[in-house]
Amino acid sequence: MAISRRSVVLGAMTLPAAWLGWSSMPAWGVPAPQAPAIPVQQFMQLSKLLVNHGLDPAIGARIAQAAPGIHPEGVALTGAILAIAEARKARLVEDFFDAIPAGPMQEFAHWVIFAWYSGCSSPKKDAQVFSYEGALTYQVTRDTVAIPSYGFSGPNRWQRPIAPLSALPHF
Amino acid sequence: MKTCFVFLRALVLLACSSAAYSQGFDAVTVARGQYLATASDCIACHTAHKGVPMAGGLVMASPVGDIVSTNITPSREHGIGNYTEQQFSDALRKGVRADGQPLYPAMPYVSYAAMTDADVHALYAYFMQGVPAVDKAVPPTELPFPMNVRASMKLWNALFLDESPLKPAPERSPQWLRGRYLAEGAAHCGTCHTPRGFLMQEKKELNMAGAQVGPWYAPNITPDGATGIGGWSEAELVQYLRGGRVEGKAQAAGSMAEAITHSFSQLDEADLQAIAHYVKTLPAIEKAEDGAGKAERFGQGKPGNALGELRGKGYQEGMQGAYLGAQVYSANCAACHGVNGEGTPDGYYPSLFHNSATFGKTNLIASILYGVDRKTGDGHVFMPPFGDQPNAVNHLSDDEVAALANYVQVRFGGGAPTVKVEDVAESRAGGPQSHLLPLARIGMGAAVLGLIALLAFVLLRRRARGGRP
Amino acid sequence: MSKLNSADVVIVGTGVVGVAIAEQLLDAGISVLMLEAGPRVDRAEVVENFRNLPLARKGDPSSCYPPKPWAPHPMPSLETPDDSYLQLTGPDKYAQTFIRYAGGSTWHWAGTSWRLTPQDMRLQSEFGVGRDWAFDYATLEPYYARTEHLLGICGPADPALQWPPADMGTPRSRPYPMPPLPFGPGEERFTEVVAGLGYKNIPTSQARNSGMPYDDRPACCASNNCVPVCPVGAKYDAATALSRLESKGATIAANAVVYKVEANAANRIEAVHYLDPDKRSHRIAGRLFVLACNGIETPKLLLMSKNDRNPNGLANSSDQVGRNMMDHPQLTMTLTLDEPYWAGVGPVVNSGIMETSQGAFRSEHAGAYFRFNNFARNRFVTFAALNKGLVGKALDAEIRRMTACTADVVLAHEVLPDPDNRLTLSDKKDWHGLPKPAIHYDVGDYTRKSAEVYSVPIGKRIAQAMGATDMKIATKFAQSKHIMGGTIMGLDPRNSVVDAECRAHDHENLFLPGGGAMASTACGNSTITMVSLGLRAADAIVRQLRGA
Repeated sequence: MAISRRSVVLGAMTLPAAWLGWSSMPAWGVPAPQAPAIPVQQFMQLSKLLVNHGLDPAIGARIAQAAPGIHPEGVALTGAILAIAEARKARLVEDFFDAIPAGPMQEFAHWVIFAWYSGCSSPKKDAQVFSYEGALTYQVTRDTVAIPSYGFSGPNRWQRPIAPLSALPHF
Repeated sequence: MKTCFVFLRALVLLACSSAAYSQGFDAVTVARGQYLATASDCIACHTAHKGVPMAGGLVMASPVGDIVSTNITPSREHGIGNYTEQQFSDALRKGVRADGQPLYPAMPYVSYAAMTDADVHALYAYFMQGVPAVDKAVPPTELPFPMNVRASMKLWNALFLDESPLKPAPERSPQWLRGRYLAEGAAHCGTCHTPRGFLMQEKKELNMAGAQVGPWYAPNITPDGATGIGGWSEAELVQYLRGGRVEGKAQAAGSMAEAITHSFSQLDEADLQAIAHYVKTLPAIEKAEDGAGKAERFGQGKPGNALGELRGKGYQEGMQGAYLGAQVYSANCAACHGVNGEGTPDGYYPSLFHNSATFGKTNLIASILYGVDRKTGDGHVFMPPFGDQPNAVNHLSDDEVAALANYVQVRFGGGAPTVKVEDVAESRAGGPQSHLLPLARIGMGAAVLGLIALLAFVLLRRRARGGRP
Repeated sequence: MSKLNSADVVIVGTGVVGVAIAEQLLDAGISVLMLEAGPRVDRAEVVENFRNLPLARKGDPSSCYPPKPWAPHPMPSLETPDDSYLQLTGPDKYAQTFIRYAGGSTWHWAGTSWRLTPQDMRLQSEFGVGRDWAFDYATLEPYYARTEHLLGICGPADPALQWPPADMGTPRSRPYPMPPLPFGPGEERFTEVVAGLGYKNIPTSQARNSGMPYDDRPACCASNNCVPVCPVGAKYDAATALSRLESKGATIAANAVVYKVEANAANRIEAVHYLDPDKRSHRIAGRLFVLACNGIETPKLLLMSKNDRNPNGLANSSDQVGRNMMDHPQLTMTLTLDEPYWAGVGPVVNSGIMETSQGAFRSEHAGAYFRFNNFARNRFVTFAALNKGLVGKALDAEIRRMTACTADVVLAHEVLPDPDNRLTLSDKKDWHGLPKPAIHYDVGDYTRKSAEVYSVPIGKRIAQAMGATDMKIATKFAQSKHIMGGTIMGLDPRNSVVDAECRAHDHENLFLPGGGAMASTACGNSTITMVSLGLRAADAIVRQLRGA
């Protein structure tokens, strides 16, 4: 079948046009492959090993959801760290943390701990907020000082002796 | 001679003017009268908000309209200064004013009818001699027609007033008899806690089984295990009457907080024990608050929060979204009642689970809208209101209160949401209105129409017959 | 609802001073219309705004009060140099955190209510520096008492713990309506330690319901969040009064940015003009006007209202409007201690050493007041603790240690009025096209010398007595956010803006009560004095309107 010259010329023109169109789109216009989400159950498993306290799965779900945006390799890192913990038969973070190699894995582990203790995604003013009152920094001292904006005692009933540092609350 | 006459006249005037005041009641009688007045809680109704004690003027919303309490100080012009002891007794125990007109049973004379002559005498002594006279008029009660026809109360009294309501019970202990005398008499528990019939009379067969009081629900205080206070010890009842709170069970608000502040908290320990003892022997009646189901209202619920859905997303988003109840709870209640509804560690601010206030809906809604105000020897307990009051911490809408109340019920209460927006609106308006008023009017209208029709029929027939000479 | 466009008295600003005056006038049967530049916002929203903030922003008290575009206020943790509201120059930056919402800046104040002393009001006569007030302490004292009962200010019955101290010959005409709030454990320890140095750490007189409800508001439950917002209204803030004012007949119009005060040919004020969020202008007439916008917005408005007769701005024949800007320059000492103190139990500011603000040295340098800040330390230490790379039990222990064993002690100084510390209208415009305020500020040698020879040495002795293992002290003064001086009071119209009743010298029916009228700052927070001036102005307004 003969291809008309017109169709060839037209065809030749569409290619550069398409290329121009394609390249002129800003990078975010082209959907990049999404960083895979971390399954909440796996993330909670990781979290409980890195942070040996009772952890609220609702907060865990929020952190897990945000993690890929900050650590795109989150799923892989989670799996890798869990494997290290498994190899050490770890129950507590002290059992295996030293085995986590410096670099992205250790950074991610620290980030997970940061997120649970601060309730935020970063120390910056534009951080995402996962929790406020559930942030573990407040749980560490909840026996002795208020979580600001939550009542601490009945009226004028807050006088008490200085609590010892060693008496960490159970949480 | 003239000076003698002037002197005599002055003496007579002096004698008359002091007749109602210093009739020479001894201090012991006056003091006993004061104690009985405290037990009867006269001050709660007969004192306006932030007003002078016993000077009246408190406007009380009743299901048939507003009732204004009277000045019962010994003022001769505006109070009861001219009342003889007989007139005082008739008002107290028969519901009849000095001018012969009946009182409305908002005055619990059907309960006070139980009081002895000696106690009435002591009360009279107190009111004539122990209460400062306040010469200030109080606006009269003006209920809508036909409720303003006081004469109809005579028929009501004939049906429902028992002038000796306490039947002899010689087999009972002195403590039980004293408890009954106070609970059924001076303390008039049934006035609030006994449900009423269509004509607003207490249903004696359901004595103390729970009733609506304005926007509040006075719960079932019979010893029924499921729907009453069968699970309470006498000591807990005494504790509640003394301080208004039993941790993990209940706390008093509304009219009961008032009653505890002004009355129960100041009674003798022996009297509180007697009341508790008597109440625990009442016939147990299984009757729950409407819609509350027959589970025990104490010991329900558990701690928790929904903040995973709200944090970091913004208040306005929380108020528009599916977690409105949780958002309202966090923003308005959690500061005192805790992130997880657990209250404060010292228990001062109560937990919302294991708390009968969050089990049903009436008192839950009323607590939110009206708050709690209760002064006892333990201090001044104060939860601010969230309704339309100038001192509301936030003015919550009916939708917001309903969402909040449902959230509280599901999370901390019985587990099921039962609050409708109309329930909140009704509570905000002062509680359910009685059908008695419109039905009375309709009934009267129908009766009048019926009379007219009868008259017309008779006249027409007469004309038809007598038409021919 | 009928749209009112006039009233007997028009009050611009619904902060603590405007609200106090409004209530006095309403109780005297005078009609009141209030105009507020910003929005009316529920407490619930502010509380949740706070809780939803990232931890890094929780220390900036403005963060939970996002301003409306038409009523900008400084937002320190969000502003860039290009879009900041205040244009600040000078060696010291007059940074502020006032709130343009209905209720004003008491939304986020700590509630501290220190009275002035007689000497504080006579700096010129006693020490040869600064200005004397136009009246004496004895004249102001009854207003202090009224303010304490109006706002619900608690304090000690024991004269040994009161401020001013009994030996200044200043007996209190009325007792405090409520007893002091208990100290937290850190404050008890601090009190013990400084007693060893010969200083008394006394309970702060504060507008907070102590052990009981007051003013139909609940008691303090130690939620330690006074700054930035009390979740329950136990701390007095002007927002708690708004519904009550309306129930007494006040009209309160929010989102109404007053941009011009209109004077007539006789230089009497006839009206104010405001812009609504649709940028439409409205005119509100009245018999008498009160500008209670705060110490920056009031002089700004006066300058914007200039006309032919008043080319330097209204009320400004003295050329003092916007001058003499003052605050309480403060230095914060951050200490690491070797024993736990546990700041964070009770309200955020609950005690202070005030005696160091008085003395003959004030002819040479400023006085200072020292306070143990009682904010819970978690937000101050969490990032540092996490940054140490600790995990597990070591991390918990470190957070707990740093929360318990770090503390801030604040040194707050007085400052003298300097006409070159001045607010003018910058050429930057806000959303409505109104000029943003420019403020030039220098705390001055009088205050700098205090830090050098007096306050910092005392601070170091305190730190040492507390057993500090580390001490960091700010090198530059920060502001306490107590705006004073821009419409200064005096007897002489040539060098002051308002008279002894905060009435503008130039306009008989214009009152400018508040911090701007204060002739001296002393060291203690200014709110109780501002409100007392407001009540005094209210009395004068009532007399003036009834006499007319």
